[in-house]
Amino acid sequence: MMVLNMDKCPDTLPQAAANHREGVMFRTTFSAAAIAVSTTALSAFPAAAESFSWAGTTDPQTMDPHAVNAAPVLSFLNNIYEGLVRRGPDMGVEPSLATSWEALPDGAGWRFTLREGVTFHDGAAFNADDVIFSYERAASEASDVRSWFAPVTEVVRVDDFTVDFLTAAPNPLFPGSIANFMILDSDWAAGNGAELPARDAENFATRNANGTGPFSLAGRDPGIETRLVPNEGWWDMAEHNLTEAVFTPIGNPATGLAALLSGEIDFISPIPLQDVEQVESRDGFKVLSGLETRVIMLGFGHDHETLKYSEETTDANPFLDARVRLAVAQAIDVATIDRVIMRDAAEPASQLLPEGLSGWSAAHAERPTFDAEAAKTLLAEAGYPDGFSFGLMCPNDRYINDEAVCRAVASMLARVGIEANVNAMPVRGYWDELRSDNFDMYLLGWSPGTFDAEHPIRFLAHTPNERLGTWNFGGFSSARIDELLEPIQQEIDEAARQAMIDEVAGILQEEVAYVPLYTEPLIWAMKESVEVVQRPDNFFMLRWVTVN
Amino acid sequence: MVAFILKRLVQSVFVMLAVAFLAFSLFKFVGDPISQMTGVETSIEDQERLREELGLNDPFFVQFARFTGDMLQGDFGYSFRTREPIGEMLLSRLPATLELGTVALVISLIVGIPAGVYTALRPRGLVSQSILIATLIGVSIPTFVIGILLIFLFGVQLGWLPTYGRGGTVEIGWWRSSLFTVEGWRSHVLPALTLGLFQLTLTMRLVRAQMMEVMRTDHIRFAIARGVPWRSIRYRHALSNTMIPVITVIGLQFGGVIAFSIVTESVFQWPGMGLLFLESIRFVDIPVMSVYLVVIAFFFVIINLLVDLLYLAIDPRLRVRESV
Repeated sequence: MMVLNMDKCPDTLPQAAANHREGVMFRTTFSAAAIAVSTTALSAFPAAAESFSWAGTTDPQTMDPHAVNAAPVLSFLNNIYEGLVRRGPDMGVEPSLATSWEALPDGAGWRFTLREGVTFHDGAAFNADDVIFSYERAASEASDVRSWFAPVTEVVRVDDFTVDFLTAAPNPLFPGSIANFMILDSDWAAGNGAELPARDAENFATRNANGTGPFSLAGRDPGIETRLVPNEGWWDMAEHNLTEAVFTPIGNPATGLAALLSGEIDFISPIPLQDVEQVESRDGFKVLSGLETRVIMLGFGHDHETLKYSEETTDANPFLDARVRLAVAQAIDVATIDRVIMRDAAEPASQLLPEGLSGWSAAHAERPTFDAEAAKTLLAEAGYPDGFSFGLMCPNDRYINDEAVCRAVASMLARVGIEANVNAMPVRGYWDELRSDNFDMYLLGWSPGTFDAEHPIRFLAHTPNERLGTWNFGGFSSARIDELLEPIQQEIDEAARQAMIDEVAGILQEEVAYVPLYTEPLIWAMKESVEVVQRPDNFFMLRWVTVN
Repeated sequence: MVAFILKRLVQSVFVMLAVAFLAFSLFKFVGDPISQMTGVETSIEDQERLREELGLNDPFFVQFARFTGDMLQGDFGYSFRTREPIGEMLLSRLPATLELGTVALVISLIVGIPAGVYTALRPRGLVSQSILIATLIGVSIPTFVIGILLIFLFGVQLGWLPTYGRGGTVEIGWWRSSLFTVEGWRSHVLPALTLGLFQLTLTMRLVRAQMMEVMRTDHIRFAIARGVPWRSIRYRHALSNTMIPVITVIGLQFGGVIAFSIVTESVFQWPGMGLLFLESIRFVDIPVMSVYLVVIAFFFVIINLLVDLLYLAIDPRLRVRESV
């Protein structure tokens, strides 16, 4: 397998858009392995158009792009629907249904110039009305993606192919933040009673789709099979060579692997790390492994007065002391976890987002070095020379080998004298436990939906309230970080913005608010004859699939 | 007879209510449906609004009363996960489960009964001993391991049979069948074997034990003494007497096969009700889980009823007692 580093974005942007892309463009140095294009091919098949069959663990629960803000749904529907902008193989923001966009004067919002001559799968023409309609639908109370439009005050139709998104404050990140905002045809939705996303009972858009994207929905059997066919009238040039694409959800990893190895399916994602060798050792199959944009970290109960799951009675929660938190960070040997549990596929992380994403702080690239002796000294200084015991909450079906990682962390902490009682549970009950404060320490994975440093600050670092810090289960609080969030969201000058983000990264590291462990790998397996692009957000885009 | 059936049907309503109650009271331990229905970026406010709309904030008894009330009116509600109507969902998955269960049952009977008779008649033969040992291995390996072994042997290594799914299906009204295509039959082989294996060994051992028992009874001895041909003794007199307890157990087991084909369906990605139930657990889809359990309870009741009726048909003594 050859790995190419796709550093350059395809330079097809109109100049007007390119100028404004600077502020929102992705850093293009995301590690080479993550953005890999496999280029080997098996000559057993003729190089003709092919039917393609792929599998994943989760069925997209709906075909409605505004009903559920979950990766399996958004990833799948990006093949059918399109947004104003889209992300390329390197995650860079590029034109899609908008040909260009520019900031309005005084940071009043963004003006999008729409693509002309685009039609939906049913033949209806695309124009500004569809954008306005889709905005109203996606920002409605029935929508699960309405948080994307929190900064938007109004959407104004300027003419048939120009739309203004007005924001209360300057918002340099806005175009990139709506890359998954998919556009429906207003007449189709209204004509079929799907003006709003289904809330309790399904509606027409739950099982039917009518987008502008490279593929159209040809058959939908929820939980069993979903069939797509190429959209012949797509406005962009098709890079794939598929005649049909069939998705089957296969929940059991062993079954999925067997389906691939028996040749019944062409591609599956993900496969368990322990099966990588088996796939690679067989002729005609290959594994594509890269890094996802997800950082796995440990969190603490910053607002817990006492430990909840301690065997001995301790007065105060030891984790309130930053020295204890630093000791935890120093006691964990991430390199060993990577080697033994993640089979060298992960990458140690120093911050709440992986290296290469926009806003990643180069000034804070160092993570605390593994040093058990130093950790013991810190614990003794903090008044815990004999250690203490506590509860470590952990999901067992959410991240790759999550429970094993927790057990490894527990055994590493035991070596410096603190005893973690691991409580691993399925993710379906996990978040509820964390929201109910039932933990002393917990494992969390975070993939920034906007691929920018502002995202984890907003969700993980800001003091929790109804809208912000909603995943900051431990209640970490820093007045300075709270103060900086808004300027970070609004600052247009990149250097000034980065300086503020660097300051936040510094506070988080100094306070050891979280212990970032590693960036999670992405493991995709396929037939040798299949070529795909592995985007670090784990979206599987059919438009880049070729079968030889 | 009609009164008997009616009485049983009325009983079944209470059984289903009890199941619904138990299931419902356990679901709060499964997890939080809202966190499965919304994305990470959804605000707490929006989550709370959804919780309120779905009535999840209501007290347990209000929720339970609403659920049973709707069920009694034939309204099964909507799935949290896909928002589909649940009645339709289950009905579309029902044929896959019933067909797989039936094929598994047929395999277990076709193989199990002759094997049981054979091992009963030649208890010390080499073939009998090997069959007994082989079936012992069969019952002691868990279903999912057998399934995966079969998949890797026949699906991956030899490439003879499909590893997952139902293959081609044909629609007969709303019933989607895979028993009318070659691909469908090929798809049935491995999961039906996996599902039927336990049933097969059970049938075989039961037939064997009963047959050996019956062969020692007086009426068989008299028949032998009288010089009735061996064939007639074995298959007419002895076998029909063995079948009564066998039918009971097999009948009850069939309910189990339908209800607990969950593991087999998951291993073979067989799109039946069991797989749907598993997916529903994963997503804390409480309405689907509740309705599924109630429907399964209904199946058990119906199967028990059928077994009782079959008794009447097979055993003349019961018919006499009933009419008296």
